[in-house]
Amino acid sequence: MKSHIYELAMQASRRQVLKGMAGATALAAGAATLGSFPKDARADFRADLLKIPGVGAGSPTDADWQKVGEMCLNATKESIKEGEFKGVELTFMGLNNQNQHNFLYRGFLKPWEAYTGAKITWIDLAQADYNPRLQQAIATGTVDFDIIEMGAPFEGDVCGKGLASVMPDWVAKQIEMDDYVDYLKAPVGTWDGKTYRISCDGDCHNFNYRTDYFTDEALAKAWKDGGGQGDWGVPKTWQQVQAVTKFLKGKQVGGQDAFGYLDPCKGWGGFGFYFLGSRATAYAKHPDDKAWLFDVDNMKPRINNPAWVRAIQDVVDVLQYEPADQINADPGTTAFQQFLAGVGGMVSWWGDVGSNAKTSDSSVIGDVVGFSILPGSDDVYNAKTGKWDKLASGPNYAPNMAYIGWGVYVMARVDSDSKKQKAAWSAAAHLGGKDLSLWCAAYPSGFQPYRNSHFNTAEWVAAGYDEAFITSYLNSEKDSYNHPNAAIEPRIPGIFQYYSTAEDELQKIFAGQVPVQQGADNIAAAWEKITDQIGRDKQVALYKASLGA
Amino acid sequence: MANLTPTTPSTTEILGDPIAPGRKAAGRALIWGATILLGLVILVQALGAAGQGPMHFDNWRPALYAYVLWAIAIGAAQVIIRGEAGQRALFILPAALFTIAVVIFPTFFGLYIAFTEWNLSSFEGRRFNGIDNLVELFHDSFYWKALGNMVFYVAMVLVEYAIAFGLALLLNADIRARKFFRVAFLIPFMLSPVAVSWMVGKSLMEVRFGPLAALAKELGWSQPNFFGSAWAASFSIEALDAWVSIPFIMILLLAGLQAMPKEVQEAARVDGATPWQSFWRITFPLMLPVSATAVILRIIFKLKLADIIINMTYGGPGGATDSVSSYIFRQYRDRSNVGYGTMLAMFYLVLIIIFITLLLNFVSKYMKKVT
Amino acid sequence: MTAVTPNTMAVDTGETAAERNKRILGRVGIYGALIFWAFVSLFPVYWTITTTLKTARDVTQGNIVPWVDFKPAWIGWRSLGLSPDTIDQVSTVRDEFLGRFLNSIIASCGASFLAVLIGSLAAYGLSRFQYKFLWMRNKDISFFFLSQLILPPVVLALPFLVLYKELALLDTRIGIILLYTLTVLPIVIWIMRDQFDTIPVELDEAAQVDGLSVWGVFFRIVLPIALPGMVAAFILSLILCWNEYFFAALLTGTNAKTLPVMVASQTGSQGISWWAMAALATSAIAPLVVIGIVLERYIIKGLTAGAGK
Repeated sequence: MKSHIYELAMQASRRQVLKGMAGATALAAGAATLGSFPKDARADFRADLLKIPGVGAGSPTDADWQKVGEMCLNATKESIKEGEFKGVELTFMGLNNQNQHNFLYRGFLKPWEAYTGAKITWIDLAQADYNPRLQQAIATGTVDFDIIEMGAPFEGDVCGKGLASVMPDWVAKQIEMDDYVDYLKAPVGTWDGKTYRISCDGDCHNFNYRTDYFTDEALAKAWKDGGGQGDWGVPKTWQQVQAVTKFLKGKQVGGQDAFGYLDPCKGWGGFGFYFLGSRATAYAKHPDDKAWLFDVDNMKPRINNPAWVRAIQDVVDVLQYEPADQINADPGTTAFQQFLAGVGGMVSWWGDVGSNAKTSDSSVIGDVVGFSILPGSDDVYNAKTGKWDKLASGPNYAPNMAYIGWGVYVMARVDSDSKKQKAAWSAAAHLGGKDLSLWCAAYPSGFQPYRNSHFNTAEWVAAGYDEAFITSYLNSEKDSYNHPNAAIEPRIPGIFQYYSTAEDELQKIFAGQVPVQQGADNIAAAWEKITDQIGRDKQVALYKASLGA
Repeated sequence: MANLTPTTPSTTEILGDPIAPGRKAAGRALIWGATILLGLVILVQALGAAGQGPMHFDNWRPALYAYVLWAIAIGAAQVIIRGEAGQRALFILPAALFTIAVVIFPTFFGLYIAFTEWNLSSFEGRRFNGIDNLVELFHDSFYWKALGNMVFYVAMVLVEYAIAFGLALLLNADIRARKFFRVAFLIPFMLSPVAVSWMVGKSLMEVRFGPLAALAKELGWSQPNFFGSAWAASFSIEALDAWVSIPFIMILLLAGLQAMPKEVQEAARVDGATPWQSFWRITFPLMLPVSATAVILRIIFKLKLADIIINMTYGGPGGATDSVSSYIFRQYRDRSNVGYGTMLAMFYLVLIIIFITLLLNFVSKYMKKVT
Repeated sequence: MTAVTPNTMAVDTGETAAERNKRILGRVGIYGALIFWAFVSLFPVYWTITTTLKTARDVTQGNIVPWVDFKPAWIGWRSLGLSPDTIDQVSTVRDEFLGRFLNSIIASCGASFLAVLIGSLAAYGLSRFQYKFLWMRNKDISFFFLSQLILPPVVLALPFLVLYKELALLDTRIGIILLYTLTVLPIVIWIMRDQFDTIPVELDEAAQVDGLSVWGVFFRIVLPIALPGMVAAFILSLILCWNEYFFAALLTGTNAKTLPVMVASQTGSQGISWWAMAALATSAIAPLVVIGIVLERYIIKGLTAGAGK
């Protein structure tokens, strides 16, 4: 989703300025003398790119986005003649969250428009309207856009109905697709064997914790005295998360009430379900089985199997140890109004929390946050045998690739006009370029790192980031993406319908109105109904296609 | 639409000049001509859309123009045929023809959708499924819970009304800086529900840093939690909605107060009535018609309450704050369950129409009794 | 609420001490209640306006008074390109904002004007004449108009999407104006009918005896009296249209997009830019407040037009 790491770099540079250095230039120069710049031309180019607008020079503005777009236009110039798309008009639909998404894309594409002669008009949507607007456009045949910024989970609705244009080979080459992190390559990067998506983002949940909690000596002593298992430290499994959460209730850290893990209990238009998913994947995603949410052969929901029920039960068990208003906390609350404001010791989230946390100006918790991949579990449920397995390799880890990430897609309606098709793909490729994406990862954009080349810590440090912090952060992301047992979201049509229904029932469970198993059975029944509504045979086929099975 | 009979004003009053037969014939010819033209355009377009017929427009715009022409012709014909009676019909025709034009298709299409199974993600598209949606509705605990909540929300309109009445009386009193207070009281009505939800609900009422939570702590609520329990959340939602809507009731009431003849009140005071007595005996009964309009309009708005709930609680905890609209919103938008969502709304519409009809009857009977 | 009754008592020189105390107490009560409610009404607005000047830290600490609790920054206005340091620079955000602002004005004014126009005509008709259409009489026709207000807008989404697609009205200002007209028309009719009801029929009759036609009576005699009422109905419609979000998000894309969609999109999966949301909310409400201050007397006076004279 979004990366505010830039903020912390600004933070660093502000400190530098305080120390008497001269801001961005001084930082860059300092980095150069340290010899951290690779010598070849592209690296120099990338380093130059990351100087726009430069750390400490204020948030990037429209002018900066245009400059970045201009600098990264080389790849386009190689394949497109100047003015080649004169007279072509394209419509681009995407989000217009403040200073992210479409805001950036406008700036990036302005130089592209000037060079190619094409003209782009924009449809901006609020995040809450995105899904309904897309679904209604598809269902009523009012698709009024040529290019769309879309989350991978919607591929079932769009690619599954043949509405997207297949990526031409020259685009794949231009955007250097080999550079993607493993999980974004085929089969997750493709749909039914064909490539549609230009990835511009990668998404997963990682585990954010308070370092001060887990280095607190008083707490360590109390933990030992209370008969806690092992040494006091960052939980590595959900079993430990549970124990620590129960232990922390009533304790204090730094004079403030301490809390353990923060569960979002309120619905969030379907997005809240990802957080139960993050608790469940370690139980439910067996290394020998690609599926974890539905059975592959018949789309039978696994939501009421022992693994998921255990995850739900975990939430119910610790809810009383969490802050009093947790029942009305959505994920936005847990991340931004609780964890970042200094309430709670652990939270699962997309990369945003990590990047925001460090900006001591905007969050109370300041420097005291650490990152890892999601906790594992001592045992993992084997859906095939119906037994809990203990793996020889130790705890089972299964990072939750929640949402998979945003991508840029071209709609099939341009295919009939070859000039327009080329123009649309050229615009999309410009946005998915390797260098441009580095800038997006490093500055506030709404997008996280998603290419192996984004994890070159030296580039980040050279741009002004604190090395220890950025290493920890990037590692938690990289290790999640490249994990062999990553739990990958099914990209089936209507996936958010399943999530949204589940949220309603989960709320009832968390509010104590329905027992856990019964609530889970309710969800399973509702899911079966949705599958029947959408069409079971098709769903099964598409589910298999999305798994690459 | 083509067979709509024109509005017939009654002829209770003396008509103007008798209409010449030739005029009548010309008027009829106009109606028939316009109707045939409209029918022709629709037919051509329908055939064209079905891939047949001589010609085909890109869209139904021509039909829209034909309708506008037809409407004008109908209006003109009214005057031509019926003279003054026609002129009277002309007052109501624009609004009626406009409303019918805009809602007739959505209403019938909506009714049709309500009896289909239509999940937008479905590959088969919509499928007629009889009364299945209705049957499901009766087993939908969320829906009935939401209906129950609506009773609470609607009942609270009376409280809003009482507060608004109080404020209107205050503003009607002999006070200084009246303009300032009037504008100040009106301002909450101008904020958009989204802004209210975030700036007030999620910021001002935030449990940890919101000033309102700080105030609540000062007042002795040790752990203020405006949305944590079912009842607190319902009241908080209601409070937010009331804050926005009270000014609407207030200005209608204030207008009514100012329209009230001062002599009546003064006469009451001369009789030695206390302010309290004169309020109940004179002001309140005289204000009943205005009150009825204000409360009914407000109730109708209340029945559509959704934005604040969606932003603040998403219907939770466990459906405790759901309004029917916010639940339909989830079904319709988050779950693309369009057929079922529409049935929920149509059923709700029937309930509302019954409720409003009863209410209007009750109000008119009550007012007859009192006045 | 304390129960306060209108206190129109003239100061009487012959009042006793007890009466005087009571009067003073009444005054204190009235002004106390007025000030209390003014605070309730205005504090959230104050909070919103000051939030435009707050960094995230100031927001999460609940700071209230600028310069005292926190150091104000132009952060919210900068994000819109409206702060002193960005006002002279090129800003696509500001262009976007202004474009939407203009569309909002056109859509809400256009719809309010249209609704008041045809709504007043219908209201006058319903107030003065007896209609009969099929089984429907005046009461039923009024209810027919009112019932257009009842349906939750969300279920009209798909029908309107299909209708507008077929009529090529998607993403057009005229399309939005027509829809908004429909949504406020019932309110206009109800309010205006009450207005016309309070204007004595004798006026109409006298004018008719003088030889004016039905429409002559309406335009020459009734309309001038009812004009303030129409202004009031116009303002109410304006406020309701100005904040309409749902259909704007559904039926517009590039050409007709309005402000509320931009306000709503400040909230995404990454929490919220409080300052930007506050700045947008502030600038969205500003024109309405100006209208409120300038035309406030019409709102009240208008709604009382013709009555008690």
